[in-house]
Amino acid sequence: MTAAAPSAAAGAATPAARRPGGAEGPDASRPVRSRRPGSWWREARPALLFLSPWIIGFLVFTAWPMIYSAYLSLTDYDVINSPEFIGVENYVAMASDDKLLLALGNTALFTLMQVPLYVVVSLILALLLDRAGRASGFFRTVFFLPKMTPPVAVGVLFLLLFNGQNGIVNTVLGWFGIDGPAWTTDPAWVKPGLVFMSLWTVGASVIILLAALRNVPEMLYESARLDGAGFWRTAWNVTVPMISPALFFIIVVNTIAGFQTFDEAYTAFFGSGNTTYSNDAALFYVIYLFQQAFGFLNMGYASALAWLLFVVIMIVTAIQLVVSRRLVYYEGDRK
Amino acid sequence: MSAGVGVTPPLVPPAGAADAKGRVRTAGSADAIAEAEPRLVRGPSRRRRSRVGQVLAWIALTVLGIVFVYPFVWLVSASFKPRGEVFDNRLIPETFTFDNYVQVWQEAPLALWLLNTVIVTVLAATTVTISSAMVAWGFAYFRFRGRGALFGLVLATMMLPGAVTMIPTFLIWNALGQVGTLTPLWAGNLFGSAFYIFLIRQFFLGLPRDLFDAARVDGANQWGVFWHIAVPLAKPVLAVTLIFEVQAVWTDLMRALIYLRDSDTFTVPRGLKALVDAYGFGGEWHWEIIVTASVITTVPMIIVFFLAQRKIIDGVASSGLKG
Amino acid sequence: MQRTPIVFGLAAATALLLGGCAVGTGGSGGDADAEYDSGSDLSGELSVMGFSAVDEVAQARIDVAETELGDVDVELIEGELDLQQFLSAVASGEPPSLLYADRDQIGSLAARGAILPLERCIEGEGIEMDQFLESAVGQVTLDGEVYGIPEFSQVQVTMANADLLQAAGVTIEQVNGSDRAAMTEANRKLAKTSGGQVQVIGVDSKLPEFLPLWVAGAGGSLISDDAKTAQLDSPEAVEALTWAVGIYDDQGGFSAVKAFRDSADFFGEGNQFATNTLGAMPMEQWYLNVLNDVSPDAPMAFDTVRGTDGEPIAFTGGSAWAIPSGGDNPEAACRWARAMTSTDAWRAAAEARLAARDAEGKPFTGILTGNQVADEEIQGMVTGGGEPWDSGVEAMYEANDHAVAMPANPADAEFEDAMQDAVNRVLNGQAEPEEALAEAQEKAQKALDDAWAELEDGD
Repeated sequence: MTAAAPSAAAGAATPAARRPGGAEGPDASRPVRSRRPGSWWREARPALLFLSPWIIGFLVFTAWPMIYSAYLSLTDYDVINSPEFIGVENYVAMASDDKLLLALGNTALFTLMQVPLYVVVSLILALLLDRAGRASGFFRTVFFLPKMTPPVAVGVLFLLLFNGQNGIVNTVLGWFGIDGPAWTTDPAWVKPGLVFMSLWTVGASVIILLAALRNVPEMLYESARLDGAGFWRTAWNVTVPMISPALFFIIVVNTIAGFQTFDEAYTAFFGSGNTTYSNDAALFYVIYLFQQAFGFLNMGYASALAWLLFVVIMIVTAIQLVVSRRLVYYEGDRK
Repeated sequence: MSAGVGVTPPLVPPAGAADAKGRVRTAGSADAIAEAEPRLVRGPSRRRRSRVGQVLAWIALTVLGIVFVYPFVWLVSASFKPRGEVFDNRLIPETFTFDNYVQVWQEAPLALWLLNTVIVTVLAATTVTISSAMVAWGFAYFRFRGRGALFGLVLATMMLPGAVTMIPTFLIWNALGQVGTLTPLWAGNLFGSAFYIFLIRQFFLGLPRDLFDAARVDGANQWGVFWHIAVPLAKPVLAVTLIFEVQAVWTDLMRALIYLRDSDTFTVPRGLKALVDAYGFGGEWHWEIIVTASVITTVPMIIVFFLAQRKIIDGVASSGLKG
Repeated sequence: MQRTPIVFGLAAATALLLGGCAVGTGGSGGDADAEYDSGSDLSGELSVMGFSAVDEVAQARIDVAETELGDVDVELIEGELDLQQFLSAVASGEPPSLLYADRDQIGSLAARGAILPLERCIEGEGIEMDQFLESAVGQVTLDGEVYGIPEFSQVQVTMANADLLQAAGVTIEQVNGSDRAAMTEANRKLAKTSGGQVQVIGVDSKLPEFLPLWVAGAGGSLISDDAKTAQLDSPEAVEALTWAVGIYDDQGGFSAVKAFRDSADFFGEGNQFATNTLGAMPMEQWYLNVLNDVSPDAPMAFDTVRGTDGEPIAFTGGSAWAIPSGGDNPEAACRWARAMTSTDAWRAAAEARLAARDAEGKPFTGILTGNQVADEEIQGMVTGGGEPWDSGVEAMYEANDHAVAMPANPADAEFEDAMQDAVNRVLNGQAEPEEALAEAQEKAQKALDDAWAELEDGD
């Protein structure tokens, strides 16, 4: 789901057509390069003033845990005894770990199903809210509700609502003559069930998109209307390009989050409590990592797992960043 | 004081008035802003092209709203049921009882936990909003070599699962002597957070640069441009940041679990975990206590959210430049 | 990316500055200089992790223990033991003084040196180990050393719906596990499905969690007594799993049965027995109280679970007190563990529970303490609730006398995981019992070998 380049059909209503590659991507800085030493400093100094909180925080609180976990991935470490350096053994062991492949496959599949649905659903909800006028405050709260509910409750509710025998989801499907599957127990249906469940927490993305929608200049809509563009054409040619930075954000962040999905699946299928029936279909990567770290006390191996995931997410995000340069429209780049 | 809440300086004082820094605005910047105006702001609801469209939107929202609200209504109604009826799936309890609330209230120093949670939440949300806005501005407005790489590093910090950085982070706070206090639950936010930096940066990138360049030409300093022009314009996204962080901190169990020991320092989620564990003892789950605990955690948030988002987000659309 | 080396350089420097504080404490911080003596006066602080004082049973025992501890300042870090919480504390070199954990977590914590062997503590405080259930002590003994003081136990009893049994012409002896062929037959008679939907579960063999119970019932065990050899692929295990899965397959498969089971209001008036939707199942004893509370008129019938030899059998679990290595007050920790598990403390707890039940007008059905002396005493305090509940309580005590358990296992989590994986794969139809268990055997054995090797290393 990406924003297509706005066609010129809507005339004045559309932002200027983009030069290929002309839109400023997230990492496409093209500063004036100067050979003189010290010029970089002059150029970057004002920025560093604003970046300093993050740089300090990174050096003190983030860099060391990251580097340390990278070091731990080269050790045998159970948290209780000092780490023992074993070189790349953990990484070698990963190659023959069939559970890892299963978990990675589950996670990739989940993310692939979830992110597009998530974006489409949150966009539809945001567009509806944008038209709702007065009641939008109330509905915004309603859509954000599930996000505020503690995950343990969400996991339990999932098992209840999606129960294959008498869960309300299948009851509703039954009204339409659909015989619902056993969402919570049939391996083939567990992941789709969790995807639908996760859609229940789209509230956050809806709010981000709504904030973006509120900032689309009315003028553009006016001219689109004068051009006789209908609802869909206006949405496609005006709305989507204008909120593409927000859409891009949602896609990137949800992809990162999707690969790290944990809470609800863990509560529903792996958490302590009333169930010891763990379902392979719900074994997501971070759940497996968590088991290795805190179940089997293999913190070294878990760190290696974490870095593999890090690389995977990094590659996926990099692809998204590259693609975004062509598709995301930033108002700030208009000259 | 916090960004996005309460009184904000009017963006465009009358020409000639001195701003906070004692500099006098000239017409130049005001013009630049006036020119940018229509592109930035529109009235709250001038987009209604048809009554029919609005009615349809309402119907769709109501149907979807039921889907979203049902599980929570289920939760609330279950919290008023005795143990034997929690899972009977009635929305109106057959036997209506306040006992669960009374029990939770008696077992737990809830008022104290609420106070701790409010302290942490307020500190966490305000600090993260201000610091993330600063950093996001640094990434959005300035151009320097290595900016992309540095921003990539910001994103990278989101990509490593927390399970493996948790213990090293704990060791840092331990070395600083802060384990057992509320500090580790919020102080990390002084340095901004990748998610919000990214979010706010996206927003800033969507603003026309001429606005800020014009202000610079008029002699506003870097901080002035950020504080008096960029921040007021970013109110919607700062409001979103504030709300998200309030939600995240309010429901944060993990950090409270590893950093807090003494029940006087517990936050609400941490305290309720202790309570729920006690009632789940030996597999004997008292779900009525668990759902009640969930409701108690959630309701204050809902109230705050409802009031705040109405004020903030709606206020944003209609405030600002139109005067 | 020219600038990043600088950033990483700075980060590395920071790492060097901070690196000094990241070491575990395992193996170090023994209790060599601890003086355990039941007559000594103790002081200082005692931080207890994993134990919550919420009900009258806990409170009554805490009162006893605090009296014994005198001037010691006790701090309960409330909530169930969370390994992330415990390990963070250990990594920072400041573990709690005392740990309250599941007995099946003791093995791996002991193997890694996270908790102390208690020989000196037991001797110094004069803890009578022979008062505890043998199976419970076995669960906290690794390589001949005791690492935990056990308390509580869970046992399974056969719970059945007498009306359904009668209507199907089945007796309770046919569903208590003593004759598995008869149980399969009884299940077919009891179960009702229509159009692919389960309407009555005949027998629930409660997989995956009760596989060890069925294996024990056939005289087998999933692990050797010295905890060095996994026996997941033993004939008893393959047979038990094949039979227990067959019970589900005869009723439309595990997925359908589980969905139907989950849809029942397990803790409420809509439970499977009250609604006549379950013939029989083995279940832990605490469920008796739940049933008695929410559906006192349910047509119940009880028996112990029985082995194929007809003898009662139960597969037990429970909690234990353990002293972390490097804890700051092992003497107080040891005394607390002794006091909490003493017959006196349990007596006080039972009296408190009895009073509370009386006040509610409900019967007192006993507590299984893991301490045989206390169990016997408390059994004498049980108040009758009339039939069938009295025979349920009787079955529970009988099961308690015949309880078996797995020995402490230095790779308990991996072992458990391998077993559950195998069972789940069979239940989902992804593998045959024999192949799944063979694979689990390989995994579990490797984990055991690694853990034992590590343990030998540490010595």
